[in-house]
Amino acid sequence: MKTRFTLLLILLFTLHAFAQDKTISGIVTSAEDNMPVPGVNVIVQGTIRGVSTDFDGGYSINVNKGEILEFSSLGFKTVEIQIQDQTTVNISLEPDIASLDEVVVIGYGTQKKRDLTGAIASVDAESIEKTPTANVMQSLQGKLPGVQIVSAGAPGESPTVRIRGLGSFNSGDTKVLYVVDGAFYDNIDFLNTKDIKSVNVLKDASSSAIFGVRAANGVVIIETKSGRLNSKPQIEYDGYTGIQHAQNVVKMANSEQFVTWVNESGSTADISFIDNAMQRYGRSRVNPNVPNVNTDWYDEILRNGIIQNHSISGTGGGENVSYAMGLNYFSQEGILDMKNEYERFNIRSKVDANLTDRIKVGVNSVFSNATQYKPENGAWFKAYFAVPIIPVIDEMNTDASPVRYSNAQLLGYRGTQNPFSDLTYFNNRFKIRKILANVYTEIDFIKNKLKFRTSYSHNFSALEERRVIQPYSLGNNVDRISEIKRENNTFSNQYWDNTLTFKDTFGDHDLTLLAGHSYRDEANNKFNATGQDIRGISLESSQFLDFADPESFNNKVEEIGKRFYGLSYFGRVAYSFKNRYLAYGTIRHEISSKFTKDNSDTFLGLGLGWVLTEENFMKDNGVFDFFKIRGSWGQLGNDNVDASSGANTIDVVFTDFGDQQFTGFTSTSVFNDLVWEFVEELNFGINATTFNNRLSIDADYFIRDTKRAIFPITIPVVDVTLNQNAGTIQNRGLELSLNWSDKISDDFSYTIGANFNTIKNEVTRIDNEQGYIDTGSAEFRQRTILGNPVQTFFGLERVGVYQNQAQVDADPFAANHPEANLQPGDLIYKDQNGDGFINGDDRVILGSFLPKFAYGGNIGMSYKNFDFSLSFYGQGGNKILNRKRGEIIFTNDTNIDADLAVNRWHGEGTSNSYPSSEGIRKSWNQQLSEFWIEDGDFFRIQNIQLAYNISGKSLGTNMPDARIYLTAERPFTTFKYNGFTPEVNNGVDRQTYPIPAIYTLGINLKI
Amino acid sequence: MKKIKVLFILSALVVMATSVSCSDKFDSQEGQLNAADLDYTDTNGMIEPLIGAYNVFATRHWAEPLLIAVRGDDVNAGGLGDQQPFADTDLYAYNKDYWMYNEFWNQHYSDIIDLNTAIVQVERFKEFLSENEKPLADQYIAEIKVLRAWLQFNVARVWKDVFIYETNTPADEIEANGVSSKEEVMQYLSDQMDEIASDLPDMRPNERPDLPGAVTRYTAYAMKAMANLELGNYQGVADAAGAIINSGKFSLYSDYYQLFKKPGELSDENLLEMQYSDFNSETGDRFYHLYAPFGSQNWTPARENARSGWGFYEPSMKFIKFMLDRNETIRLETSVLFTDRGILDLEADGYNSLPSFVRNTTRDGDIINDYARAKFASGKHYLPSIQLTDERDDYGGGKNFINIRYAEILLMYAEALTQGANGNGLTAAQAVNLIRQRANMPDLPSVTLDQIMDEKLAELGLEWGIRYYDMIRLGRYSELSYDGRTFSEDKAYLPYPQEQVDALPLEN
Repeated sequence: MKTRFTLLLILLFTLHAFAQDKTISGIVTSAEDNMPVPGVNVIVQGTIRGVSTDFDGGYSINVNKGEILEFSSLGFKTVEIQIQDQTTVNISLEPDIASLDEVVVIGYGTQKKRDLTGAIASVDAESIEKTPTANVMQSLQGKLPGVQIVSAGAPGESPTVRIRGLGSFNSGDTKVLYVVDGAFYDNIDFLNTKDIKSVNVLKDASSSAIFGVRAANGVVIIETKSGRLNSKPQIEYDGYTGIQHAQNVVKMANSEQFVTWVNESGSTADISFIDNAMQRYGRSRVNPNVPNVNTDWYDEILRNGIIQNHSISGTGGGENVSYAMGLNYFSQEGILDMKNEYERFNIRSKVDANLTDRIKVGVNSVFSNATQYKPENGAWFKAYFAVPIIPVIDEMNTDASPVRYSNAQLLGYRGTQNPFSDLTYFNNRFKIRKILANVYTEIDFIKNKLKFRTSYSHNFSALEERRVIQPYSLGNNVDRISEIKRENNTFSNQYWDNTLTFKDTFGDHDLTLLAGHSYRDEANNKFNATGQDIRGISLESSQFLDFADPESFNNKVEEIGKRFYGLSYFGRVAYSFKNRYLAYGTIRHEISSKFTKDNSDTFLGLGLGWVLTEENFMKDNGVFDFFKIRGSWGQLGNDNVDASSGANTIDVVFTDFGDQQFTGFTSTSVFNDLVWEFVEELNFGINATTFNNRLSIDADYFIRDTKRAIFPITIPVVDVTLNQNAGTIQNRGLELSLNWSDKISDDFSYTIGANFNTIKNEVTRIDNEQGYIDTGSAEFRQRTILGNPVQTFFGLERVGVYQNQAQVDADPFAANHPEANLQPGDLIYKDQNGDGFINGDDRVILGSFLPKFAYGGNIGMSYKNFDFSLSFYGQGGNKILNRKRGEIIFTNDTNIDADLAVNRWHGEGTSNSYPSSEGIRKSWNQQLSEFWIEDGDFFRIQNIQLAYNISGKSLGTNMPDARIYLTAERPFTTFKYNGFTPEVNNGVDRQTYPIPAIYTLGINLKI
Repeated sequence: MKKIKVLFILSALVVMATSVSCSDKFDSQEGQLNAADLDYTDTNGMIEPLIGAYNVFATRHWAEPLLIAVRGDDVNAGGLGDQQPFADTDLYAYNKDYWMYNEFWNQHYSDIIDLNTAIVQVERFKEFLSENEKPLADQYIAEIKVLRAWLQFNVARVWKDVFIYETNTPADEIEANGVSSKEEVMQYLSDQMDEIASDLPDMRPNERPDLPGAVTRYTAYAMKAMANLELGNYQGVADAAGAIINSGKFSLYSDYYQLFKKPGELSDENLLEMQYSDFNSETGDRFYHLYAPFGSQNWTPARENARSGWGFYEPSMKFIKFMLDRNETIRLETSVLFTDRGILDLEADGYNSLPSFVRNTTRDGDIINDYARAKFASGKHYLPSIQLTDERDDYGGGKNFINIRYAEILLMYAEALTQGANGNGLTAAQAVNLIRQRANMPDLPSVTLDQIMDEKLAELGLEWGIRYYDMIRLGRYSELSYDGRTFSEDKAYLPYPQEQVDALPLEN
C-alpha cells in the first residue's frame, strides 16, 4: 500500500528540494499528565512543510532561522514557537477542554464552535462506534436533544429520523438531508459507521438555510475520516460479532386462556372450532376441555440472529498527499425465522493532494454492495392472531404441500392463520449497489484569504428486487401458483457546487464571506415485471422470469422514470467583533424544475450572538468560564414533497364484453399543483461552561413553523384524497444538555452527560372548510384538528365497564341505545355533549403518536486500562394504537394477547378497563376508544460497554495497540404498552418488526 | 499570480455558461403522463372512455350487493361472529360509523363522478366529429347515463334523500342544489331515460356488435320502469315495461338454473349485466367480481382446488319454507345451496318429505359441507366449480352479475296493471304465467297483487334487495318482522355514514 502511494507521489509531483539550515527536534507532551502525545502536527507556518510526532511524541524537522513552528492536535490548544538558535524544542500542550476553538463543519465550510449563532449538535466518532449497527443514525439515538430516532428492527432498514419534531404531514416528506463530505444524500445506509469522523446536526433554520429547499427537515453533516499529511501509515482493524435477541416479546393467550376466552364469547361458531380442534388433535391431559395443542406462535417464528462487522483501514500521508482507505464487511441476520438478513461490503478511498501550494485536489469514493433479504412482515401480524390450538405442522393435512403446515380453516376458521407459509414460501431479495464518487479542486487565489472550491459528485444506485413466491398448497383448496417479481430501480444523481470563500481578520474584526452556485440533476428509472407459473422454481438457478408462463406477463410490466433539475445561488456572511459580538447571515435562491407553479424562491438566515464572558464586566466573574447568548431566524424549503397531487391523467383499463378483453381508459380530473413547503424558525440559545470548564451547558428554545404544509385533503363525493398546501404545522420545544467531565487522578476520569427535550407539535392553520383533516380508516380514525398535533387518535373516552345489570339498567344510555343491547362487561363511554347518546359527536382527541418529551444520558468512566460507559434513553407522552388487537373488529375468530385474555371483564369487579369476551364482539365496544389506545412511554438502557485497552508497547516491539470490548445494546427496556416495542414509527402498530437487544464482543487493533 | 487570475476567470465563465445552458430544463417535466396528451381528433379513440365507463360500472366492492340486500326477509347476514355491524344491519340496528355504509356511499358517488368525467371525455372527441358521426357520440353519452342511473337509483334507495351529480365538480352542485328527495331523484332518472332513449340502439344488449352486452334503448326503459315503480307511478311502469315487452326482442332463458351460471351470460333475458371474465385463459389478465362473500365457507368442489367462500349471505329459513310450501322446484334448487345442518333444521321444523334436490350436493357435484357461520348459501351467486376456467380457483371466478333481467320487467308490468295502470299488450296474468311456465309452475287464471309479490319473491329472491324495497315501497312492514326481528318504518333507510355527515351538508 505504501509503495503504491509513493509511486503516486512520484508520478504526480515534482519534488522541490529546499535548503533548510537547521534541524529542530524535541518531544511533545501533554501538560495534563506529561505523557507523550503522538500524531501532533508540526508545521512550519506559511509553508507546506510539516511532520507529525511519533508514538513517543518525538519529532524532527528542518527549518530556517526565524520561521515559526506550529504544533497542533485535536483536543489541545495550538502552540506557536519562533525558531532562533535552539535545536531542541520540547512542547507541553494545554488541553482544550471546552473545545470552543474546535472547528465545526457547517454548510459549505467550517466555523469555530465559539462563533456559532445557531443550534448545531455534534457527536464524535468514539460515541458512534459504541453502537453495533449498520446505520450511523441509529447510534445517535438518545444522544442529541431534539433529534428523535425511531429504531428499525429489520436488518438493513434505516431508522426514522426526526429533527425537532414532525414538520410535514406525510411521512415521505420528512427526509433529512445528509451531507457527506460535501455530497448530498437522503439515505446513508451505505456508510460504514467506522469510517465516520464526526456527525454534526444542524438543527435550526439559520444554520441550515444555506441548503435551501433540501433542508426543511434538518441537515446532518457527516465527515468521513481522512489521512493526515506527514503522518505514518496506520493500519486499523476493528471487528465485533454478537447475537441479537428479541426483547419484550408479547405474551399471547395460551390454549387454556384462549379456550376460556372463546367459551365466554357466546359465539357458537367459535366454540365449535375448539371442539373441532379437540377432535382433530385430541384433548389435553391436564385440562380435558382444551385441545392437546399449545402453540406459542411468537416463539415459533422468532430466532436469535448473528450480527458481525469487520473493518480494516489504512490512513496516512506524505508531504503533499494524504489518504484513507478501507474495506468493511457487515452482516446481520433478522430475528424472524426466514431468509431475512442483510450483508454489506464496502470499499472506500479518500485521497487529498496539494498539487501546488495553492491548488488542492481530492477524490473520495465509496462502493457499497449490499444484499438484503426483507422480512415478510405479515408474519408478525399472523403470529399475533393465529390461534394456539393449531400446531405448526399438521401431518393430517395431507393436501398441504410441499410442507404439511396446519391450516386453521380445517377447524372452521376463516383464515389459514399459520404464519409459516409466509416464512417458507416467500423470498424477497434486494441487491443494493451504490457507487458514490466525488472530486474537488480548491484554489487559493489569495493565500489563506480567498479560496475557490469546485466539487462534482455523482451518486449512482442500483436497487434490484427479486420477490419469489414458491408454489404451495395449504390444504382446503388454498394454493398459490409460483410468482416472481423483478424490479430494477436506478438513481443517478449529480451535483456540482462552486464556492468562493473570503476570510480575513483585521484588527478586532473577523470576517468570512462566501458566494456559491449549485447545480443538481436527479434522475430515476424504475422497471418491473411480474411473471407467474414458473416451471422448476424450486431451484435457485431457475428463479428467472423467462421460465414464467408468457401469458402471465400481460399488464404486469411497468416502466417509469423521472428527472429533476435544480439550480441555486447562495451566499454567507459571518462576522465577529472582538470575539464578543457575532453575526451570521445566509441567503439562498432556488430554482427547481420539479414544480410547475412558483418554481423559484429565496431563503434567508440570520443569527446574532453575544459572548458575555468577553465583556470586561463578566471577565473573572468566578462562575462562568464562557457564556454566550444567541438568537437566530431562518427560512427553509421542503422539496421532498410531490410536485403535484392527483392527476389530470388517464389510466388504461380493460373490461369484459362477451368474454373478450376490451381496452379503454378512465380519467381523473382531480388535480392540484403543489409548491414546496416553507419553514421559518426562531431559535434562542445559550452555551456556557463553568466549574473550570468541567461543566458545559447548552440550551435552546425554538419555534419552527412549516408554512404551506402539505395536507391530504379528502374531496368529499369524488372520494379522492388530494394533497394541498393547506396549513401550518408548528413545532416548538426546549432542548437542554449538560456535560460534566472530570479527572480525579491519573488513573481515573469520568464523564456524565444528560440531555432533555420537550416538543410540542401543533397545527396552527388549516385551509379547509371543516377545520380538520381525517386520516386513518373509519374504524381507527386519526384526525388533525386546529390547535392540536397532527394525526391525533380520535375516539371515545372510556369511563369504565358496566359491572352489573343494575348499573346498566340505571344508565340512560342503555335505553337510548336499545340496538346496542348493553350488558355487564360492555364499555361505558363519556357522553361529551351530554345529549344522552353515544355517537360520533362524542369523540375527542385521545392522544398523539408524537412523544412530548425525551431524555437521555450517559456515564463514562476510565480507570487504568479499563473504560466503561453506559447510556440510557427514554421518551414519553405519546400514544400507540394497538392495531393488532384492533384486528378483532374485522376477524374475531383469532387469538388475542394474554393481557387481554387474562384481564378481561368476566364478572363483577374483574375489570374496569377491558370489556368481556362477549362484549368485544359487539360493535358498541368496537368503536375507537381509549381501550385501543395505549401509552407509548418507555425507558431503556441504550448501551453498556466495557473495554480493556492494551498498549502495544507493553507487549513488545511492533505489537499493535489493542482494545477488547464487550457491548450490550438495548439490554433493557421497560414500558407498559402491549407490544414488542414502543418504537412505532407512525403510532399504528400492526406489524412492527421487533427491535432486538444485541450483545457483542469486539476487538480493535492499531499498528 | 497571473495563472491564478486566468483560472479565476475561467471558473467564473464555466459556472455562468452552465447556468445559462441548463435553464431551459426548468420548463418541462419528464415522466408525467397528462390527460392533455390525448389526441381527441382520432375518433377511433372515442370508444375508450366508454369502455372505461363500463369498467367503472362493473368494479363493485364486495360489500355493496350484500349491504343492499341483507335487510330483506329473503336473506340473512351469514358469517356469524364476523362483521358484527353487518349482522346488526340485518336486524335493523344501524351504525352510522360502520365502514360498509361509507364504502357503499363512496364507491357509488365516486363512480358517478368518474362516469361524468367519461362523458366529458366523449364530448371532447365529439367536437372533432363530422355531423353524421355525432350521433355515435350521443349514443356513448347516453349509455354512460344509463350506467350512472343504476348507481344513482341504488343510493337513493338506500338513503332516501341524496345528491344528484351531473358534472365532475360536485362541490358546485352541492352548493346549488343540496340534497334531492328520493321522489325527485326517481323523477329525474325517469325523465332522463326518456330524454336519451332515442340516442340508444334499438336492439337487445347481446345484439350489440361493437360491445356485446352493452346498454341499449331497452336498458333505459328498464331503468325508467324501476324509477316509476319507486314513485308509485304505475302507468309510467306499464308504459316503459310494455315498450320492452312489445319490442318482442326479449324472452326468458329456458334453463333457470343455468341463467345464473356461465351458459346464461348475455342471454336474451338480460337487459343489464356486469360482465366478468378471465377470457378463458389459465393465466394472465382477469376481470372478476369478488363473489367469495356469497359462497359457502366449506365445500368439497367437484373440480380440485376451487376455493370456497366466506359465508356472509344466507338465504333465510323464511324464504326456503316459502319456496317449499309453494312446491317450487327449479327456482329453489337454483336459489339455495343446502348443508346437512340446514336440512336437519328443516326436518326438525316438520319438513319431512323434502324434494330430492334438497341435499348438500349440487347437481354439478359440489359438496357443501357444514360450516359454523351459516346453514345455507346463495345459489344464484354460485358458479359450479366445473365451470371455472382451468387453473382459476376464485369462488365464482369470471361469472357475470345480472343487474336487470326480463323476468323483473314482466313482474313490474304485471304489478302496475293490478295497481290500476292500463296495459298495452300482455295481461297481468299472461306476464306472470310466462314466468311460472319456465319455473315448471302451473298457470294462474288471474293474479292479485299478493300473488304477484309472492311470484316476485320466488323468481327474484336474493337478487339486489328487490324484495326488501318492494316491501318498503308497499308498506308491508310486517313481512320484515320475521325470525325475531322487529321492523318499523323509521328503519327503512340507513343513516348517512358519519364520514359523509362530517364532510357534506347532511344530517341524520
